[in-house]
This record gives sequence, structure tokens and C-alpha cells, in this order.
Amino acid sequence: MPWQHIALMSLALPVLAEPMLFELQIKDHLFHPSVLYVPAGEKIKLLVLNQDPSPEEFESFSLNREKVILGNSKATLFIGPLQPGRYHFFGEYNPDSAQGVLIALPEAQWQQHREDNAN
Amino acid sequence: MRLFPSAFYIVFAALMLLISAHSLADGRVVDKVYHPYVQALERSIEYRYFYQRQADHPDNNTMGQKLGYGFSVAERAALEIYLIADRVSPEDYKLSGYELELRWMLTEQGQYSADWGMLFELERQNNQDNYEFTTGLLMEKEFGPTSLTLNALAVYEWGKTLNSEWEAEFRAQYRYRWRPAIQPAIELYVGENYKGAGPSLMGVHKFDKQKQLKWELAVIMAIDNDTVDRTLRFALEYEF
Repeated sequence: MPWQHIALMSLALPVLAEPMLFELQIKDHLFHPSVLYVPAGEKIKLLVLNQDPSPEEFESFSLNREKVILGNSKATLFIGPLQPGRYHFFGEYNPDSAQGVLIALPEAQWQQHREDNAN
Repeated sequence: MRLFPSAFYIVFAALMLLISAHSLADGRVVDKVYHPYVQALERSIEYRYFYQRQADHPDNNTMGQKLGYGFSVAERAALEIYLIADRVSPEDYKLSGYELELRWMLTEQGQYSADWGMLFELERQNNQDNYEFTTGLLMEKEFGPTSLTLNALAVYEWGKTLNSEWEAEFRAQYRYRWRPAIQPAIELYVGENYKGAGPSLMGVHKFDKQKQLKWELAVIMAIDNDTVDRTLRFALEYEF
């Protein structure tokens, strides 16, 4: 079998179930929430709503993501699966104010976090 | 929608098989390894340089430079216009042509098992009425803190001093995203009379807000007897 076939087969992984959705808002050049908890080990979908009239860019080197969100607009990012840990992100157009951190929690801590929020 | 990345695997496989069958290109093979991403509102000025060295090789002392201006034309599409200057021994250095490039981001980053884009380039050589059209697939896949980027390109050349022909090129880059300013990688290039691989280093330095300078440096060594021994590749891209 040619090496190209082997390389392609290794990349042709199945598409998994719909990822869990999280929401992040940008208002007055600030991220809300500025600390976002997500489960580690699974892909998530992050909907970023920019409520400012000016554009903003969600950027994170540790998450390997950058995405421009036009003013009064929204964008969807697909992130992970992540190792447990803290991932800093910021707004490239307003880096002094638009700062945040995404915290990926291991399974047990994530379940605990959900229960705490439900109560 | 979910099925369509699979279709691209098939096209990608066809292009790779074309490369494995025969490579015919007359152009430069070592160039940028393209990522499949486009940002809305992006604007950039780009400079690229390459230099080839092997005392007894026909490509010895060949040097090329490209100066480009790029901008996004839609949320998922960007245009770039280049001036190209070449020195092919024993001729002197000269402005050899210009090029129009379109990058098209097909999938959202991280949405599928790999990210996909397409590249379209049209190059015209000055004074010779020669043209080169390049198109192909750009793919990137994340493996933890590393990224694998593949470019499978089909090239069609025609003009007064060229035989009309299809060619194929393949570029690959495996990069460790160590820190923004320093990201080591290895690169592989396959094309007409060229099979080379070698280490590269790249990074980005932020100045203010969206102003940033990206840099890339690679030394590509021949992996067969037809290929010129050493190729140096260097690029600077200022985004604003």
C-alpha cells in the first residue's frame, strides 16, 4: 500500500457527536464571563457574541485559535479536546481590557462544577 | 455538510497519487507552506526569499524574491498580489513576473478531524507571455501542541516559451507550537526535479493590537541526487 494511502487513512477519523455549547459575550471590550469552565477531554463549541459595534479578535496561543468577530455579530469556535488546565485568551483589538481564561476541568471536577451551578 | 470533508480526502489522495506518478514542474518548489485559515479584516505585507546552492548543479546560485500585499475580501477568502524577482544563473537578477493569489478557508478550525482550505494562484512571467496556474488543497491537523500542515497542489503551465503541461507539488510542515516567538518545524517539498526536507523555525512578534510580524526560516536539503543540495527559505509577513 503506498505511503500516501496510509497517511490519508490515519487522518480520516470519524466525526464525533455534536460538541457541548458554551457562550462568551464581548461588551464594552470585556469578555463575559472572563473565566469560563469547560470539560477537559472533549471537543466544545464556543459561541462568541460581540455586542460592541467595533470588531474584536478572540486570540489564544495556548488554544491555537484566532477568530475575528465583526461588530454586533457572532462567531463559532471549535476547541479541544483539551488537557485539564488553564488557557489564556484575549481580544487582539483591545488587549488591555479584553482578557479571559478558559479552565478545562477533569471529569469529576466538571461534574461537581455543574452540580454547584445547578444548585 | 458532514460528508464533504471526506470528498476532500479523495481529491487530496488523487493529487498525491499524481505527485507519486510523475512530477514535471519547471517552477520553484520550495516556498511557503500554506495554512488553510483566513481571518476577516486581515491585511498584510509579505516578503519571501529563497536561495539555492550546489557548485556543480544547474540551479546553483538561483535566487528568488517575492513582495506581496494581501487582504481579506470576505470572512473566509483573502487575496494577495505579488511582484516576483528571480536570478537564474547565468542571467542577471530581474523582475520576472507578478502573481495573484486567492486563499479560501473551507472549514472552521477544529470543526472536523482536520481543517481544509484551497489555494488558487495565477502567475504571469514578464516579457515571455508565460503563465502558471496553481490550485490545490491546504490541510492542517492539530496533534496536541503540534500541527501538521499539508499542501497538495496541481500546476498548469503554458505560454510562448513553455510546453503546456500539468505538474504537481507537495509541501508538508510539522510544527511544534512551543511559544509564539519560536516554533520549530520540519518541512518536506516534492516537485519537478526536487525532493527536499529540512528544519525550519518560525514565530510571531506582536507590536500593538493587531499589528504583528511573522517570520519563517528554513534550510532544505536534497533527499535525492537530482535536487540541488541546499535551499534557504526566508519570509517576513507584517499584519496590520
